[in-house]
Amino acid sequence: MNEAALEADVRVDPTAIEKSLAELWRGNKDAGDDALTRAALWNVVAHTSSTEMHTTASEILGRASATVPQRTIIVRANPEAEPEIASWISANCHLVGGGKQVCSEEIAIVAGGDRIHRVPPLVDALLIPDMPVAVWWLGDLPNEHEEYVLSLLDPADRLIVDSAHFDSPADLLLVERVAEKTTTTPADLNWVRLEEWRSATASIFDPPDMRGRLRTIRRLRAVAATSDSGIFGEAVEALLFAAWLSAQLGHDVDAAGKVAGAAGSIDYTIERRRQPSGAGSLLEIEIEFDDGCSASVARDPERGILVTTAAGKISMPESITRATSGRPEDLIVRQLKQARGDQVLLKVMPAASRLAKRIS
Amino acid sequence: MSVAAPPPALAPNPLREGLEQERVPDASCLVIFGASGDLTSRKLLPALYSLAHDGLLPAGQTIIGFARPNYTDDAFRMAMREACDKYARTRPVDEAVWENFARGLFYVQGDFGEAEGYFRLNKKLQECDQTRGTGAGRIYYLAVPPQFFPVISELLGAEKMVTDPERGGPFTRVIIEKPFGHDLQSAKELNRVAVTTFRERQVFRIDHYLGKETVQNLLVLRFANGIFEPFWNRQYIDHVQLTVAESIGVEKRGGYFETAGITRDIIQNHMLQLLSLVAMEAPVAFEADPVRDEKVKVIRALREFPKGHQTECTVRGQYADGSVLGEKAIAYRKEPSVSPESRTETYAAMKVFIDNWRWADVPFYIRAGKRLPKRVTDISIHFRPAPHPMWRKLRGVTTRPNVLAIRIQPDEGISLKFDSKVPGPSVRTAPVTMEFRYATSFGAEPPEAYERLLLETMLGDSTLFARRDEVETAWAWLDPLLDIWAADPRPPDFYPAGTWGPEAADQLIERDGRKWRRP
Repeated sequence: MNEAALEADVRVDPTAIEKSLAELWRGNKDAGDDALTRAALWNVVAHTSSTEMHTTASEILGRASATVPQRTIIVRANPEAEPEIASWISANCHLVGGGKQVCSEEIAIVAGGDRIHRVPPLVDALLIPDMPVAVWWLGDLPNEHEEYVLSLLDPADRLIVDSAHFDSPADLLLVERVAEKTTTTPADLNWVRLEEWRSATASIFDPPDMRGRLRTIRRLRAVAATSDSGIFGEAVEALLFAAWLSAQLGHDVDAAGKVAGAAGSIDYTIERRRQPSGAGSLLEIEIEFDDGCSASVARDPERGILVTTAAGKISMPESITRATSGRPEDLIVRQLKQARGDQVLLKVMPAASRLAKRIS
Repeated sequence: MSVAAPPPALAPNPLREGLEQERVPDASCLVIFGASGDLTSRKLLPALYSLAHDGLLPAGQTIIGFARPNYTDDAFRMAMREACDKYARTRPVDEAVWENFARGLFYVQGDFGEAEGYFRLNKKLQECDQTRGTGAGRIYYLAVPPQFFPVISELLGAEKMVTDPERGGPFTRVIIEKPFGHDLQSAKELNRVAVTTFRERQVFRIDHYLGKETVQNLLVLRFANGIFEPFWNRQYIDHVQLTVAESIGVEKRGGYFETAGITRDIIQNHMLQLLSLVAMEAPVAFEADPVRDEKVKVIRALREFPKGHQTECTVRGQYADGSVLGEKAIAYRKEPSVSPESRTETYAAMKVFIDNWRWADVPFYIRAGKRLPKRVTDISIHFRPAPHPMWRKLRGVTTRPNVLAIRIQPDEGISLKFDSKVPGPSVRTAPVTMEFRYATSFGAEPPEAYERLLLETMLGDSTLFARRDEVETAWAWLDPLLDIWAADPRPPDFYPAGTWGPEAADQLIERDGRKWRRP
């Protein structure tokens, strides 16, 4: 068996997927190819609902497996399709140097009609024991089918969503409920995108003489790029940023989304700015202090950096934060490299849901 | 004179919680003495740039090169840019990151022994405190031969360029490079000089092995996993082997190596650090003093080489003509700046014992050499065989002891060798290995050792640095052996370059019914 044979999709009986995978590897071993190593650090289940999404998930996770070897299970479930269930197996192989290749397995399950309810137990049976499980939900969360979502999440340690695709604040609430009601920790690719902004903002307050200013913030302005469609998801990155600042600084966000600190109300403003490209991403944040001084972080897309500057009496050299890759496979890898769920995100989500009321 | 109370500790920045860069040091001025040297361009500046690239340096962090050649700031920046282009882990150099990084890069010309240069340096430092918000924190990196350490140290003190938070001032730290002395006496002298200007906790003795991910992983392997520690003792372990092999010769360092030899260059520092991490007891916390307390206990427990029989448990060798990795290699004695009658050892092997409860009578075989077949650093734990050979009457069954191998470099990883039944109707066994490879499991290239160690210095954490008593205890153990070797008129055992050392090294271990593991 050679690498090409490993990477080709082989249709297999859904009841005999493990056996077929074992045969695939045994064939490789019989051919004496010791340069291939089968490896897995995660079980990653991608849930999709269309052929395009399925292809996207397969390509992204194929690339991600070069960095984080994983057993990939891609589910395409469509209750409107013909009642059937079918499966395929293949391998993603990557050169790691010295002529060696590391291969990860990929299993595809396509289910339609009422057969979709057979998917969760089938996925459960295909998980590699003792390896963590991440479920990546592509597209909008079906908050109208919460039970189906919860049954797929039953064995999952982590639920990965991308809130940039959310169409309403109800999706944020569903993720929040998953965190509350299950042992699955939510993860959000939009939150990963925000890390460079969090890092740049944190750097403003690293100098000891700036630390005290955290208590004197009187205004936050976050500017999000939006398209003509203006869907809810395009504002979520800015929303998460604002929620993060409030959660980390102990600001109180009330049910109507109004914010107050120890010294009174604080003005949190989320602006939408129409842009021809990059909809959904943060463009700029500005933090104003009681004494009128301010600090800001702005994206310089040409140089691929965020620039942090201060105005007023603040003495701080301009600094930069390198913008990290926003490619989906890199965002997924950054998620999977975290051994534990993100505890900060858990603190941020309730505030984000409340702040969402001001922009929905 | 009253001593001011140290300022209260500042609360951590809450916005750093959960970020990859959770710990970012306060901005300071890092002065590199010997900034025109190889270490600066090959290691230090590339490491600092990579830290900046990864967002691990604070805004305002300032680096000042100090050396004799007359460079302008711009010329120094240009030279360092070339160095980063060539040696930085994160390449190609990101223009935006470099531009910002280079704004904090300066050069001051000066002679290590003349106060005038220190005056200019101090002026520059004070200027940077104003313009770059460096808060008067100072780190002095002495990338210079040890003979300059006393004069630099003295002039820094004389020019009042050393402050201490415990006396109410900002922090000052000094980083010194090995060799930490040539023997016990010189090490003590070096340490005495250090503490006339600095306090011990301000001194960061760098051993780059401790900055390697795999070396740090030794502690994680042993103390973050429940399964290994119960077996990590004389009851289950037959012996331990440590190998530090280099395929290169002495290159341009012949002059230095003639006075050092492999024992001073590698064994006294890197190998004893590895040995102490393998053999130490669990520290109460992963903090500087608890970790170093346990390490020094191991070195203190090293059994002295038996008087009059030192040569029976040690071997010294020197490479002769041969070939390495298909290339012709000349003998050590023919290397530039090396005496044609040199008796300096380029290879050493030793059988050592740690006289404590855990390791009583377990031999540790250690070897280090130049011009060996390949570059590899490897630790292997050889377990005792199964107590009862129940298959001894069956042909095809040969049981072998289990081996846990920890590869420090290159291709870092851990493997466990054990026997398995070969599938089939008869009982036959074959050794198999379970392997963990960093490259396979974690993909990304780990940071360079210098990156980690520079960052730890900026953060003021000395856990990964050698303490004075570690260095002196190591010399105290090795000195008698080095004296005997020095007095021995015989040359070391020669070995052809490209082999695993002299035959005597094989005999050293084979006498005990064991063999060197091929790493």
